[in-house]
Amino acid sequence: MKLEIGKFFVKEMVFGEKTGYSKGVLTINKEEALAVVKEDSHITEAELHIACPGDEIRMVPVKEAIEMRCKVSGGVMFPGVTNPVMPAGQGRTHALKDCSLIVVGKHWGSFQDGLIDMAGPFQRNTIFGSLKNLVLVGDTDEEFERHEQQKKNRALRWAGHRLAEYVGKCVAALEPEEIETWELEPVNRRDASVQGLPSVVYVLQPQTQMEAMGYNTLVYGWDGNHMLPTYMHPNELLDGALISGSFMPVSSKMSTYEHCNNPVVKRLMKEHGKTLNFLGLVMSNLNVAMDQKQRSAYMVAQMAKNLGADGAIVAEEGYGNPDVDYIQTIVELEKVGIKTVGISNECTGRDGGSQPLVALDPAANALVSTGNVSQYFELPPMKTVLGELESMARDGLSGGWEGCVHPDGSLVMENNGMFCSDHISGFSVKTCMDY
Amino acid sequence: MLKAIHYINQFFGQVGGEDMADYEPEIRTGTVGCTQIFNTLAKDVEVTHTIICGDNFMASRTDEALERILAMLEGKTFDIFIAGPAFNAGRYGAACGQICKAVKEKYGVPVITSMNEENPGVEMFHKDMYIFRGGNRATFMKQDMERLAAFADKIARGGKLLPAPMEGYFPRGIRHEVFLEDIGQKPVMAADRVVDMMIAKLKGEPYQTELPMPALDRVPVAPAVKDLRKVRLALVTSGGIVPRENPDRIQSCSATKWGKYDISALEKGFTAPEYKTIHAGYDPEQADKNPNVVVPLDAIRAYQREGRLGVVDEFFYTTVGTGTTQGEAARMGREIAAVLHERNVEAVVLTAT
Repeated sequence: MKLEIGKFFVKEMVFGEKTGYSKGVLTINKEEALAVVKEDSHITEAELHIACPGDEIRMVPVKEAIEMRCKVSGGVMFPGVTNPVMPAGQGRTHALKDCSLIVVGKHWGSFQDGLIDMAGPFQRNTIFGSLKNLVLVGDTDEEFERHEQQKKNRALRWAGHRLAEYVGKCVAALEPEEIETWELEPVNRRDASVQGLPSVVYVLQPQTQMEAMGYNTLVYGWDGNHMLPTYMHPNELLDGALISGSFMPVSSKMSTYEHCNNPVVKRLMKEHGKTLNFLGLVMSNLNVAMDQKQRSAYMVAQMAKNLGADGAIVAEEGYGNPDVDYIQTIVELEKVGIKTVGISNECTGRDGGSQPLVALDPAANALVSTGNVSQYFELPPMKTVLGELESMARDGLSGGWEGCVHPDGSLVMENNGMFCSDHISGFSVKTCMDY
Repeated sequence: MLKAIHYINQFFGQVGGEDMADYEPEIRTGTVGCTQIFNTLAKDVEVTHTIICGDNFMASRTDEALERILAMLEGKTFDIFIAGPAFNAGRYGAACGQICKAVKEKYGVPVITSMNEENPGVEMFHKDMYIFRGGNRATFMKQDMERLAAFADKIARGGKLLPAPMEGYFPRGIRHEVFLEDIGQKPVMAADRVVDMMIAKLKGEPYQTELPMPALDRVPVAPAVKDLRKVRLALVTSGGIVPRENPDRIQSCSATKWGKYDISALEKGFTAPEYKTIHAGYDPEQADKNPNVVVPLDAIRAYQREGRLGVVDEFFYTTVGTGTTQGEAARMGREIAAVLHERNVEAVVLTAT
């Protein structure tokens, strides 16, 4: 399977007459773009902003981040979600690089929403602080969840996906500045030289623990809670087959932007044929009941073993209860003789004294740590707030609490509420250490 | 210039060797013996007073020693408290830990000490203070003192505390996140770290996990005893039941001692107030009223009378579980198990609280 990503490097983002891209300048026609957002009558209010690195802008409650792209050949964007189900991961996709689309609630936040700073001491805490962002701020008529802590955020998230494709389409007919090719042959049709290398799989455990539908990670539009572990080609992930959910405390989340740019997958693809034989992706899930956790762990181990894996990387999107799924999957992989490395974050408490993972096992002897969800932050005020700062204190965002926002615009919070900041997808340049 | 007070034992205080280990605590103005080295090394901290105390004195009359030393510090101006280095000397290590902990609690100043990793004081006190990784004998004096002096200087300058492996102290059971760039490392993305770690693991090359698993010491559940009438059974507890006078001075918290007491004359079980609990981790009211609620000797005797049990060991074995480190608990467990083995005990009722 072969996927080409044609890249357009955005150096400047402006609003203007006609949505288009020329020599590094991305121009967006606001009116037209907002019309795309409002195709869904549930969107009651919407506005667009631009937030660039260094701008004194704070965004909260951030619900989703998406790379602006379009499909040129071989399929559709976000299959099964904003477009009909079609295979992903083949043909040509054009993508606007060094930028992203951020979706922000105009007022109302939820448990899984977060904060992004574009300047100041916390700019570096999320990768979006160093990207040029088109920011959609909106409100909806989803009254049933307006005051719920858990929100599906469906109208806004879907609006984001439509908007990302609308803007992405402006480079459909242009010649990319760079083309990245991602290709892996079928596992049993590879050269002997590749077959001779250590074979590895990447096991992704996206967040799927909500039993009610509408909150979990979607795979081709299918709720991951209703899925058993399955085999996927890495290109499917890189081409938008996964849509981030709306459930997990946000520092532990992987946004849709990160799924499409998953740096672990990209690095494994680069090692393929050189040091490793990358067999592909085992798409697993995270569960609530013990037998569900066990079932997925056994199936992952079986699949990896019979694909011929010598090694595996397990990535857990979340912390706390799903640590059980994470550790158990590592244990089962090790049991069948697969050398396994894990990547996730920790929860050691504000004083750092708590057990870092809910489940521990000596078989998990190779772990990468991407952050501590309970790290305590004191944020200075920021000139401009997109969204509503008070949501951090009022709406049950996992990093905030009543009174955490001060009248001068400064606030205190836990890392739990910093948007995707532990970057378990692999972007994290943090770790946890003993003190 | 910050002021420090330094604690050392009788040997390094040049009072004498083992024969002087009962030396009573005293405070002297200025440096004595090895504490002088500290002053030559530290730039922003100066030792103004030295406390000398015999290792035996501290070990056998701990409460009194701590009380007397804390009283000596009364009215003294000091910003940092230093103890040791204690190398691999067990009693000295424990003494450094005890005095540092007491000083930190009473005066709220940073306390630092140094010990070798084999020193039991590390396991006992690493969560309470900065214990720097030291050599195993006094020939490492200068090297260990350099670390203490450098760290004291850092505290004096308000420098940012680095993670344990970088500063050189034993981890205190605390983990925080760090940006790699903030600790002078290349900001390598987690994606590259995880793939590099996997390649190393596949090749059998060394790698370092970023989340070391706390040592798990799971003991498999023993198979059931088939016939209780044919075994010798003993009672063991971490619930702190002791004869009223607590003859072995088992500590109420963070215990390092256990006791073995004759119960052969107790035909109906424990009686109060002859037996009581010294455990500080739960409300003692019920246990003091009836110690059998913690160690069910009354029920064991009843079973014996009914002919359902064979021989019960003449002794019961007891310690306190609260605050007790895993290392100390394991050591005491091994020691108790060895005695049980010697006495041909084949089954144990182990009660915890």
